[in-house]
Amino acid sequence: MTSTELVRESAADRTTRFERDALVFTDQIYAAALRYTKNPEDARDLVQDTYLKAFTSFHQFEEGTNLRAWLYRVLTTTFINSYRKSQRQPQISNIEIDDWQLSSTASHTSDLGKSAEVEALEKLPDSDIKRALQDIPEEFRIAVYLADVEGFSYKEIAEIVGAPTGTVMSRLHRGRKQLRERLTTYAKELGYGTEVSS
Amino acid sequence: MSPVESRDLPCLEVLSSIVFIVEGALSESPHAAAIESHLYACPNCQAEISHERTMHDLLQIVLRRSCDEKAPEDLHEQLHQQLLAQMNAHQVNFTEIVTQFSMTEISIEIDEFGQVEHREIQIQSTHEYRITEDEE
Repeated sequence: MTSTELVRESAADRTTRFERDALVFTDQIYAAALRYTKNPEDARDLVQDTYLKAFTSFHQFEEGTNLRAWLYRVLTTTFINSYRKSQRQPQISNIEIDDWQLSSTASHTSDLGKSAEVEALEKLPDSDIKRALQDIPEEFRIAVYLADVEGFSYKEIAEIVGAPTGTVMSRLHRGRKQLRERLTTYAKELGYGTEVSS
Repeated sequence: MSPVESRDLPCLEVLSSIVFIVEGALSESPHAAAIESHLYACPNCQAEISHERTMHDLLQIVLRRSCDEKAPEDLHEQLHQQLLAQMNAHQVNFTEIVTQFSMTEISIEIDEFGQVEHREIQIQSTHEYRITEDEE
């Protein structure tokens, strides 16, 4: 059975819907903004700008599509367009695209290397995990954050950051690799992983 | 089997596809079948993939644990106020914005009391109207 009917939504209804469906993600969006901007003041401003822009174009958002992914796209675009300029961060060059398959050191890891990596992740405090994430290049950080904290698929991330899926895969691969290398280094500095486990 | 699929791959090539395997996107690789048959026969690569999966899971756990800051209490209130201000600003310019959806009902389930239990709709088009006071 099919029938066509018209539904009217007033500005007040739309505000209520936005408050109900979009503002529930405030904590998540704030945590992401903290990782993007690296400081609470900018994170706060970024969250406000994100919701300002999201509400302005909320009438264009199609219900039934992924609102959370859409909000992250607004967040990421807003960050890239406004905040990155003011923060003057060095960007990774275009060389990143597609060179990773050749450049990655694809060899088997020794058992000792494997256990040191696992130990680093198991023992390091949260502050070191966040420090390592802050220290990797921005594009890598955003991709790893969206995939491994927020659980977006690489296809969704491609939409969110506006990059081809191959580029996203490359950023994920290299970002995780750099993150793990940093964490293993921190762990060594703290004296973990120096004993040879049998 | 195509020549690409039957070709025996070196470990190096399998390991460079690890990110696809971990992301569950191996099927998108043109070498998917060759990689799978290599993995079946190569204990070193199996161990590597297993380590990569462990690290991937562990990394997700520690990242999620570390990155769970809550927004400051007053930010929630600020966002609410910002939203109201935005809505009011719109209503100064034009009395009301009305969004009109054209939708088709795909299925509807009604229980024995005539109450709608489940309803599936599809939205075809969305139009925004600005109703000024003159029209009201």
